[in-house]
Amino acid sequence: MPNIIVCYKWVMDDQDIKVNPSTLELTTAGAKYKISEYDKNALEIGVQLKEAHGGSLQVLSFGGTNLKNSLKDILSRGADAAFWLADAAADNADAAATAKVLAAAVKKMDPADLILCGDGSADLYSQQVAQRLAVLLDLPVIDNVESLRFENGAWIASRQLRDCVETVSVAGPAVISVLPGIAKARIPGMKQILAAGKKPQNALSLADLGMSADDVQPAAKTLSVKGASQQRKNVIIKENSAEASVAALMASLKADGVL
Amino acid sequence: MSNIWIVCEQADVAAQLLTPALELAAGKPVYAITVGAENASKVAALGASKVWQLNLQDGRPESAVKVIADTIKEQGASVVLFGATPRGRGIAATVAALLDAGMASEVSAIKAAADGVEAQRYIIGGVAVSTLAFSGLSCVTVTPNTFAAPEAAASAGEIVAVDVPADSRVTVVETAPVVSEGVDLAAAPRVVCVGRGVEKQEDLAMVQELCAAFGAEIACSRGIAEDLKWLPLERYIGISGVKVKADVHISLGVSGQVQHVAGIRDAKTIIAVDTNENAPIFAAADYGIVGNLYDVVPALTKALKG
Repeated sequence: MPNIIVCYKWVMDDQDIKVNPSTLELTTAGAKYKISEYDKNALEIGVQLKEAHGGSLQVLSFGGTNLKNSLKDILSRGADAAFWLADAAADNADAAATAKVLAAAVKKMDPADLILCGDGSADLYSQQVAQRLAVLLDLPVIDNVESLRFENGAWIASRQLRDCVETVSVAGPAVISVLPGIAKARIPGMKQILAAGKKPQNALSLADLGMSADDVQPAAKTLSVKGASQQRKNVIIKENSAEASVAALMASLKADGVL
Repeated sequence: MSNIWIVCEQADVAAQLLTPALELAAGKPVYAITVGAENASKVAALGASKVWQLNLQDGRPESAVKVIADTIKEQGASVVLFGATPRGRGIAATVAALLDAGMASEVSAIKAAADGVEAQRYIIGGVAVSTLAFSGLSCVTVTPNTFAAPEAAASAGEIVAVDVPADSRVTVVETAPVVSEGVDLAAAPRVVCVGRGVEKQEDLAMVQELCAAFGAEIACSRGIAEDLKWLPLERYIGISGVKVKADVHISLGVSGQVQHVAGIRDAKTIIAVDTNENAPIFAAADYGIVGNLYDVVPALTKALKG
């Protein structure tokens, strides 16, 4: 029966991030946080594997000082226990730093047969943590995984590589990053939400892992973060009929020299 | 800059990487790592001074990560550019970890700076652009079709063959080729993209008629390809899919989530059709028709034919 760890990131909801059109500054005040969508799919396949094969399912996250707010949500989605490390240093951490923290935390947890990650985080979408984690833990990594099963003690994973689907088998423990299509995240019911509060929540600190904020500094200096300017005309056409709207569109496109 | 590297398992994308690499190198040699003899000679002909040709025992480029990292470490590097293909993205992250280097994924721009490179990339689903400054060794991945391949160089570079042993931990059970239609959406001058506003797969016939009248390629949102499987994966647009650069992009019934909009931002003129006036796609569009696509598409087809 496999022990599975699912890594997740607690991110700002992109719907709440606004760009000031004149200064291109980002406004994040009052933004709500959520579990990165891609990680919900990773957790869901983890839950399905546990339902099919037994074993344990733990979740792990490195996040900012509000990470505790994620615990009820993540635990209502089928994990047995959470390991979480909240530190202000996470706000500036890059994928390398995050992987270092997660790898050190994994070593403190029950030996894992599988570590699952989402395809990328909803905010930075660097798509590096799974691979870096695998290097630090000296495990094989399988990415771009669209379907995953556990058979005779081996992970059988199908990878979507555009020109082919490559199915591989890994006999030992592995880090696997999954595409969002692998499993549709379920919506937790009231019973799961109530039960979540009673599940173990294991808080970790950088000091527990023998690390300090200096160990999680990003490799690159961020010079600026600016709203991506979308210089679009934003002309809304809403005539009385489709024909009239199309006629107005065609006239504009001809005037612009597009047609 | 000296010691610029490119790494890519696909010849076409490796060739594209040479363009920014040669620019960063500004006359100094560019080193390349690719898979197989055919790719190696192509890359050597386009301006790489020396090409390491990986001969893969198990056919998996992923098995070469240690060889790639060791080769780069041995020769010395300042910047390593990787092709952000599905395999390349993971290979890049693994090699970066083996080199203990920082990495900027899928950059939109890169230039030499004081003691390293400055790279720009979209974050938060394309809402913002972040500018990063690396000092020392850095890894960078570049989305295919961001750059055009350079002209052939005056003289071909040297090729060194390296045998790569299999990764005994990973066994390939099956490789099922995905039959590609060979469409290059990223290069299509006109694109019509469908989203969830299209109710049934049969209704794509109506959209195909518009495509025929307009001389456009059909594309879709991620959900249409991945969940509904109405169109092949090579036709979905978004941050993880194709990024189009069309002169005219027509969006039909696509709500316009940030991850999707990141794939159309380089289109010159964007036209959106949706029933919901508040759909975010209209903020990303030049012209937005608020209306039912089932009425608008036939009218548009007729107007374009006329």
